[in-house]
This record gives sequence, C-alpha cells and structure tokens, in this order.
Amino acid sequence: MLSIKDLHASINGKEILKGLSLEMGAGEVHAIMGPNGSGKSTLSKVLAGREEYEVTSGTVTYKGENLLDMSPEERAHQGIFMAFQYPVELPGVNNTYFMQASLNAIRKARGEPELNSLNFMKLVRTKLKALEMNEALLKRSVNTGFSGGEMKRNEILQMILLEPSLAILDETDSGLDIDALKMVSMGVNSLRSPERSMLVITHYQRLLDYIQPDYVHVLSGGRIIRSGDKSLALELEEKGYGWLQEEAAA
Amino acid sequence: MSAALLDHYQTLAATAPKAHAYQAVGQRRLSLVELPNRKQEAWRYTPLAPVLDYQFAAASREDGLLEPEDVAALRVTPADHVCIVLLNGFFMPELSSLPAQTGLEVLDLEQALQTSATGIERLGRLSGECLHLFGAVNAALTGAGVYLRVTEKLVQPLELIHINYSFDSEVLSNPRVLVQVEAQASLTLIEQHAPFADVLGMHNGVTEIFLSEGAELLHPRLQNDSLRTRHLSSLYVQQAASSVYKNTSLALGSAWSRTEFHLDFSGGHAHCELNGFYLAGEQQMQSMHLDVLHSVPDCSSRESFKGILYGQGKAVFDGNILVKKDAQKTDARLSNDNLLLSRDAEIDTKPRLEIYADDVQCSHGTTVGQIDPEMLFYLRARGIPKAAATSMICQGFAAELIAHYEYPALETKALSILQERLAPVAANL
Repeated sequence: MLSIKDLHASINGKEILKGLSLEMGAGEVHAIMGPNGSGKSTLSKVLAGREEYEVTSGTVTYKGENLLDMSPEERAHQGIFMAFQYPVELPGVNNTYFMQASLNAIRKARGEPELNSLNFMKLVRTKLKALEMNEALLKRSVNTGFSGGEMKRNEILQMILLEPSLAILDETDSGLDIDALKMVSMGVNSLRSPERSMLVITHYQRLLDYIQPDYVHVLSGGRIIRSGDKSLALELEEKGYGWLQEEAAA
Repeated sequence: MSAALLDHYQTLAATAPKAHAYQAVGQRRLSLVELPNRKQEAWRYTPLAPVLDYQFAAASREDGLLEPEDVAALRVTPADHVCIVLLNGFFMPELSSLPAQTGLEVLDLEQALQTSATGIERLGRLSGECLHLFGAVNAALTGAGVYLRVTEKLVQPLELIHINYSFDSEVLSNPRVLVQVEAQASLTLIEQHAPFADVLGMHNGVTEIFLSEGAELLHPRLQNDSLRTRHLSSLYVQQAASSVYKNTSLALGSAWSRTEFHLDFSGGHAHCELNGFYLAGEQQMQSMHLDVLHSVPDCSSRESFKGILYGQGKAVFDGNILVKKDAQKTDARLSNDNLLLSRDAEIDTKPRLEIYADDVQCSHGTTVGQIDPEMLFYLRARGIPKAAATSMICQGFAAELIAHYEYPALETKALSILQERLAPVAANL
C-alpha cells in the first residue's frame, strides 16, 4: 500500500524528517507515536501533499506509484485521506455543499457518476446516524465556530463518506473528551477492512485502547527509532519516550 | 476640456423641461461646481477619466424598446408582486407589474410632481445643495424616476429594476427615486441594476429615503450593470426615532461604479445596517463611500463591507462615521475586508471614525489579504481541484455578506453571477 524509504523533508530550510522509512501493507493499522517536535505532523502533511514542505531525498510509493509527484487533490482522488489535527474553518462555505463537492470531485476523477443533492443527503444521513452527529452541523459553514469535538467528528464524517484506501489520522485524539474519543474510534473502526490501511498518529496511548493497531512505531528526531506491536504502546505509556531516545542516541 | 464639459452639462440643464423648483438648485450648482478631481477628499483615489472623458447626452423616454418578457427574465420576485421598471431612468408602466396594494402608492415621479402628491415636497431635502457635478446634473434634470409611499406594514417585497438600454451610445440615465415610509410602516425594496446591452452609457441615480418614526426598510440592492456602463448611485437616508434601515448593496458590474451612502439620524433609538460587497476585475473600478452622521443620541449603526479584486481591478472604500457632540450612547461598528487575487489589483481603503461625544461605543477595522493557503490545502486534500477550491473560498467570503439580503432568490442570483465571474479567474491563478 505505502512504502516510505529514507525520507528527508524540511520546511523553511529546517530539516524535520531525517531518513524515515515505513512499510504499510493493505488492511494494516499502523500507529506512529512520538514526543512533540519529533516530526509526526510533518509526516502527515508530506503524505497529504502540503507544498510548503520540501522533500529533499527519499521516496514515497503508494499503490506502486510515486506519491510525491501527485498534487494534494490527485492524492485524494487516489484514495488518500488525512484527518487534520487542526481542521480549517471555511467561513461562508456550507458544510453539506463542501462535502458533496469533495465526494463528487473524487467520483468524477475516478470516472464514477456524481451524486445529486438528494442522493447525497440520503447518504450523509445514514453516516451521521452512525456517528451520532447533530445534523445542524451540516447546515453551518465548514468548521466555523465548531467545538473541538465537533470538528473532529466532522473530519471522521468526511472520512467515512470518502471511504479512503489510506486514512491518515493526525492527532485526531488531541483535545477530545472520552465520549468524543469513543465516537471517533467507532467511526474509524467501522472503516477497517482488508483493503484499507490506516496510519494513526498520536501523542498518547489512550487512542490505541480504542483503535487497536497492528504495528506501533516510535518517531523521534525525524526517524523511526523503534517498531513493535501494540505492546510497545503500553510500554511507552509506562516509561515515556526517554529510554528509547537514550537508546537511539547510544 | 473641463470648461467644455461644464458647458455641456449646463446646456443640458438649461434645455431640460421644467417640472420642479429643485431643478433650479441643480442648475445654480452647475454654474459654481468644480469638476470632480483627485485633490478633493471625496474623489482622492477615484480615477475620473471614465466619466469625465465623455459628454453624456440626457436619455429620453423610449416606448416599445423592451417587452414585458424581457423583464420577467430579470425578476427575482414572483409575478404577482409589484415590480417597477425604470428604463434609462424613466418609469415604464407597461413593463412594470402594478397590482393594487393597500398601504402602497407607486407614482411616476413626473406625475407625482404634477399632482403634488402627498410628501413629494420632500424631494431634494436630503440631496440638498448637491455634493458634486453629477448630483447637480441629476437635480437639474429632475423628472425621471419613481415615488413610493408606504403607509402600512407590507409583507410582499417590492422589486425595482433599472435597465439602461439604448441604441445610442453615451446616454445618461438620470433617475430619482423618492421613498417615504410612514410611521410604523415597513417595506422590503429589492433593487436591481440589470445588464441589457453592452453599450457605453452612464447611470446617474439619486435615491432619497425618508423613514418616519418606527418605520422599517429592508433594502437589498444588486448592481450588475454591463461592463461598459458607468454607474453612480447616491443614496440619502434620513431616519426618525426608532426606525430601522438595512441596506445590502452588491456592486458586481459596470466599468466604473461609485455608490454613495449618506445617512442621517433625526431621532433616537434608530438602527441602521449598511452591508456592501464589491467585485472588481479587469477594467473595473468599484468604489463605496459612506457618510454616516450620528447627530442625535442613542442610535446604532453597523457598516460591513467586503470586496474581491482580481486582475487589474481597483476598488476604493471610503467609510466615514461622524459622531457629533450630542450623540451620546452611539454604537457604531465599521469594517472593511478585502481579498486580493492578483498582484496588480488595488484597494484604497480609508475607514474613518470622527468622534466628538464621550460616551460612545465605536470601532473600525480593515483587512487586506490573499487566499489563505491553509484553506486552499484543506479543500485540495479533500479532492477539490485548486481552481474550484479557490473559487469556493471566494464564494464563501462573499456569501457571508450576501446572506444579509435575506431573500433567497436574490442571493442565488448574486452567487451565480459571482461564480460565473470567478471561475475563469480562479482557473488562471
């Protein structure tokens, strides 16, 4: 599904990712954990195609193609979805209109018929129910004046609508209370399937109680310094990141 | 050149049919007035060649030029509502829909002057000595236009459509609209300036609005003149105690456009809301001028203006709020936000609060920005191509303001014009 080899990336001339490698197979859920400043968010932004980040060396192959050659919208068309750590407010842009435009842009790029408003609304309503989301949020401007929990639910709703092949969750758990966290996890778990891979980026082990990863990686100083199964997350919870960083330095 | 132009307008004034004493005020002013120039504060940032390089000829009434079906295509109100059509400034009953409605009088301005209709004596009281050349021309040629008097709370909106259309070039339309909303009465007046032919001409309209005690006027306006039209709208509003005026003006069309809002409170606890949006692209200049005068206590006003500029588009925002010494407890908020899509676009923005009272709440703020890269990335990450995403951000920026129309059919129309204009621009950014 996704193969990252020796990835170096920088922003404003400052190198953040310093030789990151990661292999993800179809159907796998990978968690990336790491302290602040380790490069977690940079990784997600590079994968989603944020142009401010410059990839200086290394490769990223997605479904056999060079991901780094694709524009952000092409990546979305190819099935990549990133749930933003800080979803962006779009004043004056109606949430339903936005989601319909998004789904239809992707369907169009894939040569599938676009959904009319009526059919789109039917689809959204079924997905909303599963997330226990308030329909009123659909009528408002995208993320404008939303609470933190509402924004994250809105991200998950988009993810469920777009049914990506590779979902990247960038610290989706930050700032969430336990109910919202459960809801978000439920949404994510409902999408788990043998064809779909997920990259869950988080600072805390807490989220991984609800979304059980197949693999856990520790990111520090722009590189993955340790990989393991979900027991690694528990170990980190207990001991913190310090021991691994010391080991890596040694 | 300037002497020739003044001569031209003085001759127009001298030969105009005399319908009202106010014409003499305009004529006198024409003999004293200087041409608008950039040394004058009110015109400082406004290019003037597009209006001063021509000797526009006064329009005359032309019957049989348009059919009612032409108007039907422009309307946003249902067919059974009152819809008034002014063609080159002249009231056209055969193109208008004028079902009788209690509480509403609609009169051709000429007829109202001839019959001395109730309240018509107010004509010219707000535009007074005329602020500039074009105000004086309008006054001197007084005759074309419409008089509206509202005596009840009207539920159905009234539509007023201005069409500038002639086989001749360089024609000057010169309407005056006089609106009197009596005590406790209310009206929604939807005003459209619709494009009909791409002829170089000038619209030089004056509107005087009198709101009596407790009266309410909702006034959504859409200026979508053809891209060669020169457009000047001077609005004068006087609000008595506890009256409410809400104006939402969009300036999308015309090559050169200036909208002047002159607002004055005569009694306490009145509220006014002025919302404006301008779109200025290639070969376009849009300007908005506000003169809001708080001279009595306890009134509030909100002035919120936004603009999108692209290509070599130019816009001027000149917003003045004057709070006089006695206008205690005034609450006034002025804002102007601009989105620039190109390096060559230019906005001159000049919000100004002049406050002489000490117990007031007033604020003003201005922003000039570009498309937010965070917003653009968010939309693109959701599969929306860059051009469509850019267009969507612009639409959203404008939609917040257009929502003040509070009339869905007009909102839809304005948004679709905007979409049509912005889509090719966004595709080339």
